[in-house]
Amino acid sequence: MMHFLLLFSRQGKLRLQKWFLPLPERERKKIVKDMTTMVLSRKPRTCNFLHWKDLKIVYKRYASLYFCCGLDNQDNELLALEILHRYVELLDKYFGNVCELDIIFNFEKAYFILDEFLMGGEIQETSKQSIAKSVEASDMLQETMEEYMSKPAF
Amino acid sequence: MAEVALYYEAYGYIYYCAAKDTVMSPSVRLQEMIRVIRSARTQGEERGIIQRECADIRAQFRQGDNGERSHSLAKLLYVHMLGYPAHFGQMECVRLIASPRYSEKRIGYLGAMMLLDEKQDASLLITNSIKNDLSHSSQYVQSLALCTLACMGSAEMCRDLAPEIERLLRASNSYIKKKATLCAVHIIRKVPELAELFTPSARTLLSEKNHGVLHGAVVLITELCVRNPDTLDRFRKAVPELVQIMKGLVTSSYSPEHNVAGISDPFLQVRILRLLRILGHNNDTASDAMNDLLAQVATNTDSSKTAGSAVLYETVLTIMDINSESGLRVLAVNILGRFLLNNDRNIRYISMTSLQKIVQTDHNAVQRHRGTIVDCLKDQDTSVKRRALELSLALVSAVNVRSMMKELLIFLSVCPPELRSQTASGIFNAAERYSPSKRWHIDTILHVLTKAGGDVRDETVPNLIQLITTASELHCYTVHKLYRALVKDIAQQSLVQVACWCIGEYGDLLLKGECEEIEPVQVTEDDVLDALETVLQSHMSSPATRGFALTATMKLSTRITDNVDRIRSIVSIYGSCIDLELQQRAVEYNALFKKYDHMRAAVLERMPVMDKNSPGHTNGETPGEIKEPDTSKPKPVEAGLLSEPASQVCDLLDLLGGTDTPLQPSPAPTSTPTTTSSADLLDLLGGLELTPVPTVSVYEKNGLSLKIQCDKQTETEVVINLIASNSTQTDITNFTLQAAVPKSVQLQMKAPSGTVIPAHGLGQVTQTVLLNNPNKVSLKMRIRVSYSNQGAMHQDTVQIDSFPSTACQPSISPL
Repeated sequence: MMHFLLLFSRQGKLRLQKWFLPLPERERKKIVKDMTTMVLSRKPRTCNFLHWKDLKIVYKRYASLYFCCGLDNQDNELLALEILHRYVELLDKYFGNVCELDIIFNFEKAYFILDEFLMGGEIQETSKQSIAKSVEASDMLQETMEEYMSKPAF
Repeated sequence: MAEVALYYEAYGYIYYCAAKDTVMSPSVRLQEMIRVIRSARTQGEERGIIQRECADIRAQFRQGDNGERSHSLAKLLYVHMLGYPAHFGQMECVRLIASPRYSEKRIGYLGAMMLLDEKQDASLLITNSIKNDLSHSSQYVQSLALCTLACMGSAEMCRDLAPEIERLLRASNSYIKKKATLCAVHIIRKVPELAELFTPSARTLLSEKNHGVLHGAVVLITELCVRNPDTLDRFRKAVPELVQIMKGLVTSSYSPEHNVAGISDPFLQVRILRLLRILGHNNDTASDAMNDLLAQVATNTDSSKTAGSAVLYETVLTIMDINSESGLRVLAVNILGRFLLNNDRNIRYISMTSLQKIVQTDHNAVQRHRGTIVDCLKDQDTSVKRRALELSLALVSAVNVRSMMKELLIFLSVCPPELRSQTASGIFNAAERYSPSKRWHIDTILHVLTKAGGDVRDETVPNLIQLITTASELHCYTVHKLYRALVKDIAQQSLVQVACWCIGEYGDLLLKGECEEIEPVQVTEDDVLDALETVLQSHMSSPATRGFALTATMKLSTRITDNVDRIRSIVSIYGSCIDLELQQRAVEYNALFKKYDHMRAAVLERMPVMDKNSPGHTNGETPGEIKEPDTSKPKPVEAGLLSEPASQVCDLLDLLGGTDTPLQPSPAPTSTPTTTSSADLLDLLGGLELTPVPTVSVYEKNGLSLKIQCDKQTETEVVINLIASNSTQTDITNFTLQAAVPKSVQLQMKAPSGTVIPAHGLGQVTQTVLLNNPNKVSLKMRIRVSYSNQGAMHQDTVQIDSFPSTACQPSISPL
């Protein structure tokens, strides 16, 4: 299973953190710090896999954002790369040509999309269209409520 | 992979959003706050803004329901992500989750996942809300509850809600079913006893058509099987069904919904392969049932993109882990070989990690790809280099050792510093097992010491010295070579130490000026003494090295003829050296010159060949090494046996006052074959040797470690060897052992090999104890250790509680 998924910028600023295991706040901060240091110091054209403690770390850079996840030892790293790519595709479909600013200003939406794709560290849906439809439907549900209340959601 | 274009805009986000014409309703106030925070120019300014906003948020929370709460919580979550504390939002999450409004629930649950974890008390408060929402009329509300439970559900919450989840597993639409399945996985991970609750439904889920549900089902079944071998047995019956599903995926026509780079649902395929691996492991029937499928996947999967490679990779792992037929295994190894040549660095890395796993079991198959692996040593990526190094070391064999070693030595000169010591140890191990000749072995070690002397382990020096003593015909060659190296450069401490030792020992051969194997140097006695003095005086030399040099100088006093006075003066100068170790040695050597000159020749004579094996060990063979039989040498001195030279040395030590260092910094042989575990795993000649007597460590404190070996001689007699070593910076002196045993057991302690244990693990003291246990009572022994170190007296006691009669392995309880 995936232990965590982190998105951070080239300057090391955290844009999204999803934890699939319960860890104390201090531990999480340390992991974030370790990951950002390790991944940001990697040279270009090196492979996307690292070892950290007893976890496999898979990371991929998309323009200004690093997507970094920690996996169990039996997990398939190449598949993890596909998982990261799938998430980026979902974001791209939702926001239309997604960029880092989208994720900064709409972080809650990025989480909602992620929660339709992964759950408990495992994939819950393998079809892109299916996920897109669910997120759209949830948004509609939210908006109808908004219209009804005639106020913006947040 | 298609590159996703991400780009940065300098404008305020509000305008940007309008320009993109999206469906989203702009969340103005949250985004306004984000914009303000980002515009802060300093950390202090940001902190100020955050403080204001948090005060605002707190006020909002206190106001109660006014439609603004979800907006405030969202702002708080952003602040939390920046790293600021947000505990005051926890209760708000609980309240929002209980709200009837979907927008509030949505943000409330998100907040719960981010701010609450199972350790907070507040998390229990949402259990009821989750329970209600699990039966909500809207599936999206149900989904929120399921997701949150699977993310942060504690064991208690899981126990509470498990029946609900099980119900949803069976009777709901596929949207909910797939989520309930993964929720069940989380529950089982948290509360393993609940596994039985989900086992029946898991089986039926396999007949679902929806890929999301199917995927979840495979994950659930995997989790169940991994935790319970009985369940694993039952699910083996599902293998044909799984094979069918896989076949469907592999042979299906293009399905846009699940296609990734030509592979139909690689995520599902990989999970099924992983489950098949678990089901087929160590089971012939199951493995047979999947053979055809695996062959089909292995041959038909297009690996030009990562998705295909991921599936192939998983297939290879499965093939290697089940009882597959040999043809299939060869196919798998060939796939890995193909991966090695792939342009994609990731795939090369993956292939090497997999090859590493199978290099023991399918050694020959992996050997075929040796050339490519060795080429990967030159890759730019350090991770790839590391893998290539490990694999190369595993592939060294008696046949290819010369060519492999050449490559490895080249690698050593150019490898990144973090890999140096691993490479050096690897080369040493390989050399020890497979060297075609002693000379080659010595040359290799010297080469490594010259290139990377700083990165080798401490035992290298004594090991090399021991090796040199056994190669008696090469003494001349070795000392000439080392002398040349010493004259060239004295920076590498380990090399200098060995060189000094050799010059001290074989200086006469050096001075003779003739050698068959190598061009001899023409040196005078002064030249040699100059070289040693340079080492003594150089600030580059460590204290240990200077000790070597001084002793070597002393030894030369019996091997040269003209310059003994020079040696005498050097020795007396160092009698007032500030370094305690050197001073002690110099004083003793001085004494040897003055009062005991008649013994000097005997004391300083050539060292006998050191046996690499431990004292009391009857097996004379070193595993793997081509050893020239050498029966003419006298028995080793370090053995605690009462052989003639040993007793002489003991007497001499007594005469000299009993507190002396041994006259050579005797590099003690490593006492067990288990020092490097990798050497044992790869030990191909393991079947030929007698089982070595195990050495158990019974005491380790303040740098002193005591090991024990017991060997049963007869039904009632046991020989126990105590080996003491010292890893501190200074010598341990006045070392004595006393032993006590139960009343009916007779104890005879032999004389120890010495009372001083040199520092840095450079030497050992051994003592043999003979026990006679005629009444066959359970053997116990209490050992009292006393010694001086760094001017302080130490005393300690170790109790050894039992020596089981067959294995003779002591169990220890240090007092």
